[in-house]
Amino acid sequence: MSSTIAFWAVIVLLTSGALGVVLSREAMRLTLSFGVFLLGVAASFLYFGLAFLAVAQLFVYVGGVLILVLFALMMVRRGDGDKLLMEVRWDWAAAVTASAVTVLIVTVLAPEFTTTVPAPGAADSGAMASVLLEHYLPAFEIAGALLLVAVLAVLVIVGRGDER
Amino acid sequence: MSILVACAFVFGAGLFVVLSRRDVIGVLIGLELMLGGANVLLVALATVSGQDASTTQSLGLMVLVMAAAEAAVGLALLIAAFKRTGRSQVDEFGEVTG
Repeated sequence: MSSTIAFWAVIVLLTSGALGVVLSREAMRLTLSFGVFLLGVAASFLYFGLAFLAVAQLFVYVGGVLILVLFALMMVRRGDGDKLLMEVRWDWAAAVTASAVTVLIVTVLAPEFTTTVPAPGAADSGAMASVLLEHYLPAFEIAGALLLVAVLAVLVIVGRGDER
Repeated sequence: MSILVACAFVFGAGLFVVLSRRDVIGVLIGLELMLGGANVLLVALATVSGQDASTTQSLGLMVLVMAAAEAAVGLALLIAAFKRTGRSQVDEFGEVTG
């Protein structure tokens, strides 16, 4: 019973966060809705028993990416104290495309999901370490290299921009 | 089934945000919605199909790393565009088209 409640709480967090991002016009509300969604993602990992992934999600996204987005918002915000409003266009072509992709995903993957509420899982983080460092070591190294390249790219992109 | 519908909805919402917003931050957050929804769906699919939990967790971690790198580069592009033009709209990137 408690796992069912936890599952539906995860679903509510995920969908309400995404809906908030779609509907928000004010930048800070958009970011807060994004934060709710990220918490929902971490909660879903926790529900499936992937505690390490949930903590990584919290540290990397809620503690890192969300703060970076807030810094970027503060930087592009005008100095007159007004709220940073974003243009929300109700583009029908975009709505139809997004709906079609949603229906396609559900249609294709529906046979794989036989139960309404999947059973909560449990994972051993120590076992994950051995899987990563034994079976998937090349992928692990490539992921580290990707992060290093991303850091260098950020330095190059931000470092050589012309001042307006 | 409900997790599938929720993740597909999140992915569709992200796609709609990417296609309809003009602010770089909005587009970036839309991309993150798509990646987050796909990651949860990947983990859910691996769990319901009986995959090893350690492998599932490793796979989710890889997607997390890629999404974090994408967010960092995207925000750097936003700051570079703002430094050049004083605006944060996706139209500012028009000059990089071939």
